[in-house]
Amino acid sequence: MLDDKLRMSNMKLRFMWFLPLICSLSGFEQAPPSREYQLKAVFLFNFMQFVEWPGTVLEEQNTPITLGVLGEDPFGDILEETVSNELINGHPVVIKRFANVAEIDQCHLLFIAASEKERLPQTLDALKGRNTLTVGDLKDFAQSGGMIAFKMVQNKIKVQINLDMAREADLSISPKLLRLSQIVNTKRS
Amino acid sequence: MKNNGYHSEHRVKDLLCLLKSHYANPVRLRIGGTILMMLYVGHFGYSQNASSSTSDLKQLTLEELMGIEVMSVSRRLEKLSESPSAIQVISDGEINRFGASNIPEALYLAGNLQVAQKNAHSWGISARGFNTELSNKLLVLMDGRTIYTPLYSGVFWDRQDYLLEDIQQIEVVSGPGGTLWGVNAVNGVINITSKEASQTQGLYLKAAAGNELQTQIAGRYGSSIGPNTHYRVYGQYSKRDAMTYPDSTDAKDGWSMAQGGFRVDSKPTDRSVVTVQGDVYRNEAGLDFGERSDVWGANLLGRWSYTFQDSSSFKIQSYYDRTVLDLPTDAWVVNGTELAPEGTFKDDLTTVDVDIQHQFELGINHIVWGVTYRHTNDRVDNSPALGLVPDDLKQDLYSIFLQDELHLLKKLSLILGTKLEHNPFTGWILEPNGRVKWKLDKDRIAWFAVSRAVRAPSRIDRHISQASPPHFVLLTGNPDFQSETVVSWESGFRSNISDVASTSISLFYNVYDDIRSTVLNPETTFPLTFKNGLEAETYGFEATIRYQPTDWWGLYGSYYLLKEDVRVSPGETDFNNALNENADPGWQVTLRSSIELPYHFSINPAFRWVDDFTINEAGVARNVDGYAEIDGQISWQATEWLQLSVAGRNLLHHHHVEYGVPGPNRVAIQRSVYGKVIVNF
Repeated sequence: MLDDKLRMSNMKLRFMWFLPLICSLSGFEQAPPSREYQLKAVFLFNFMQFVEWPGTVLEEQNTPITLGVLGEDPFGDILEETVSNELINGHPVVIKRFANVAEIDQCHLLFIAASEKERLPQTLDALKGRNTLTVGDLKDFAQSGGMIAFKMVQNKIKVQINLDMAREADLSISPKLLRLSQIVNTKRS
Repeated sequence: MKNNGYHSEHRVKDLLCLLKSHYANPVRLRIGGTILMMLYVGHFGYSQNASSSTSDLKQLTLEELMGIEVMSVSRRLEKLSESPSAIQVISDGEINRFGASNIPEALYLAGNLQVAQKNAHSWGISARGFNTELSNKLLVLMDGRTIYTPLYSGVFWDRQDYLLEDIQQIEVVSGPGGTLWGVNAVNGVINITSKEASQTQGLYLKAAAGNELQTQIAGRYGSSIGPNTHYRVYGQYSKRDAMTYPDSTDAKDGWSMAQGGFRVDSKPTDRSVVTVQGDVYRNEAGLDFGERSDVWGANLLGRWSYTFQDSSSFKIQSYYDRTVLDLPTDAWVVNGTELAPEGTFKDDLTTVDVDIQHQFELGINHIVWGVTYRHTNDRVDNSPALGLVPDDLKQDLYSIFLQDELHLLKKLSLILGTKLEHNPFTGWILEPNGRVKWKLDKDRIAWFAVSRAVRAPSRIDRHISQASPPHFVLLTGNPDFQSETVVSWESGFRSNISDVASTSISLFYNVYDDIRSTVLNPETTFPLTFKNGLEAETYGFEATIRYQPTDWWGLYGSYYLLKEDVRVSPGETDFNNALNENADPGWQVTLRSSIELPYHFSINPAFRWVDDFTINEAGVARNVDGYAEIDGQISWQATEWLQLSVAGRNLLHHHHVEYGVPGPNRVAIQRSVYGKVIVNF
C-alpha cells in the first residue's frame, strides 16, 4: 500500500516539475562503463591490502599475488595500469585471465565477471577450499556465496562482505574494510 | 573655559543616556548579525575539476573511494591534505553526530570559526576576528547561492533551516578568498553544499522533541526519473524555546521556522550535469520587547555544467532569491521622552544572479575564469525608529576573475589570480592573490599566500537613518563610506603523520585599512555617522589534529590563537574608541571524539573552551567571560531503517553567556536536551 502511494506521488511530482527537463535531455548518449571499472579496479587493489591469506599460500616474500578475472573481462587494460609496479606487502601482483573455472590453478583474488551469471553456483562450488578471495558485481553475489560484492548505491560503489565464506576459505579481512562494508549472509535457495 | 566644561559634560551625559537606553552598538537592530555580499563570483570550491587518473584514485582511502560518484562529471580529486589554503571541512557524518539541529550549531564544529550565540535565534559567526553583531567580513554560500541581505550586511543564520541530513559538507576557509569567491570574503568563506538528489533517495522521516528544541519534524522523499535523473523534496518545521535573562526571566526570543524545497539532478551524459533546486521558508522570531519579526523567502537556482573531452569544463548558473521581512521596532525612549514611536520596518529584497565559469588546461597552466552579473532590488518601508534612504534601491554588480595554477615543477605550483569587480558604491575593485603550493612528499604540503580582499560598503554604511526625520536622528549612513581592505600574509602546513593521524596548521598576519569608525558631527554632535577611520593588524594561527587510533574511535582537536590590534587611524576619531568592530576571544580549544560501540551504539561528545573577550559599550570595553561547554549525542541504530538518539547542547551549565554587554538584557544560552527518532527507508 505504502509502495503504491509513493509511486503515485512520484508520478505526480514527475509531471509537476520535470516534464520540460526530460524533454530537453532525451537523446543523449549513455555513459561508458570505464569510469565504473576504473574505480572497481582500485577497490580490488585495496582489497589485496586489506585481506590476509594464510601463510602457506603466500610463503615467500617474492611470491606473486595472482589477481584473476574469470569470464568476459570488463576492465580492459585498467587492471594492469592499477597494479603495475605495485608491491602488496612485498609481493608483486600478476594478472591472469580465465575463460572457465577449470583453468584456474593458482589465484588469490578472483574477480568473477557478469558473463558467469548462469554458472555462478557451480563456479563458487569449484573454488571451495582454495583460499581464493572471490569478488563480483553480479546481483546478490555475496548472498549467493561470493565473498565480496560490489553494489551500486546511489551512484556510488559500496561493498558487501560475506564473512562466513571468507572465514571458510581461511581469509582474514581487516576490520578497516569490514567497518566500511555491509556484512551479509549466504541465502539458502 | 567654564562654558566649555559645562558643554562637554552635558554632552557626555546626554550621550550616556542614549547609550544606556538604546545604543550599545551604533546600530542595534534587534536582529542577528549580518554581512553584505553584494558581489560574488561563481564559486569554485577546492574539489571541482576534471576526472581523475588511476594513480590519483589509488591515493584515496577506502572511505573516500566509496564516496566517489561513478558518473562524476567535474570533481577533481584534490585531497583536503593538499589544499593550499586554511580550509577545514565538516563532513556530513560530523554534521549529524554531535547534536546540531541547524546550520549555526553545526558551525561550532569548525575549529577555524568563531561562533557566538547571542540569543535563541541569532549568532555571530566569523573567522580571524571582527565578530560583532554586524560581523561583515565573511562570505557564505549555500549551493552556490550567496546567503546575504544587503539590508544589514550579513547573514540571518536562523533563516537557513535545511535538513542537516541533506548537507554534503561545509567547507570553511579562513583567510581571504577574494579572488575566486568574491567581495566580502575578507576573513573567510563558508561554503555549504547539499547532497545530490541521487544520494538522498527513499523516504526519510525525523521527529525530535526537547526542552529548547521543542519540536522538530522533517520529511524527505527522493526518487528517480529514468536512470540519470534524481530528485528529492523535503520539508522541515522547527520550534524553539526562548532563552533567559540574568534574573531568570524569559528572554521572549522563542522562534519557529518552516522550510521546504526540492532538488533535481540530471546527468544526461557522463559529461553534463543539470541541477534545479529551490526552497521556500517562513520564520517567526520573538523580539525582546514582546513583538515578533516575520520573514518569508523563496529561491530558485539552476545550474548546468559540462565537461569537454579534454577535461576542460564550463558551468553556468543562475538564481533568483526573494526575501520579505516585517520587523517591528520598539518606541525609542530616552529618559522618559519618546524620541520616535513604535512602528514596523519592512524590507523586500529581490536578487537575480548569473555566473559563468570556464576552466581548462594549457601546458603547465590550469586556468579558471568567470564572470558574474547580479541585480538587486531592495525596497524598504521605514519605521520611525529605523530607516534606509533611499527606500527603493536597484543595483547592478558585475565582475570578472581569472586564476592560473602553474605547475612549475612536479612538487611546486604557483597560483596567481585576480578579480576585478564593479559595484555601484565604489566602482572598480581589484583583488589579487598569489599562492605557492609545495608538495614536500606524498604526505606533506606547505603553502604560502599573499592576498588582498575588500569589503564593499553595505546599505547600512551608506543609507541608514536611525531614526528618521522628523524624529531625532541619532545616526546616518555616510554616502562617502569606502571599502574596507585587508592585505593578508598566510602560510600553512598539512601532514599525514601516519595512517591514523593527520595535522594542519595555518599562520596569518593581516593588515586592515579603512575599517569602519563612528564619528560625531563636528558642529551639531548628532547625527553620528560612519567613516573609514580605523586600521588594524591581526595575527595568529589555527591548528588541527585528527587521530583515528582504532576503527571504532576517532578524535579531533583544534586550537586557534588570535591577536588583534584595532586602532584609530592617525588624524581620525572614533566615538567607540576602536572597540566596536571586534569582540573576539583570543583563543579557543575544541576537542571531540566519536566512539562506535557494539550493538550499533555510538557516543559523540564535543567539547569547546572559549576565552573571555571585551565588547563595546559606547566606547567602554566591557567583559564577556570565557566558558567551556559540551555538546553531544548518543545514538542507537536499532535496525537498518530506525535510529534513536538523545542529543544535548551546552550540557555543562544550566545557562551561559556567549555574547553581549553585561546588564539585565543580556541573553544567556540555556542547556538543551532533545530526543530524536529517524526512520529511513
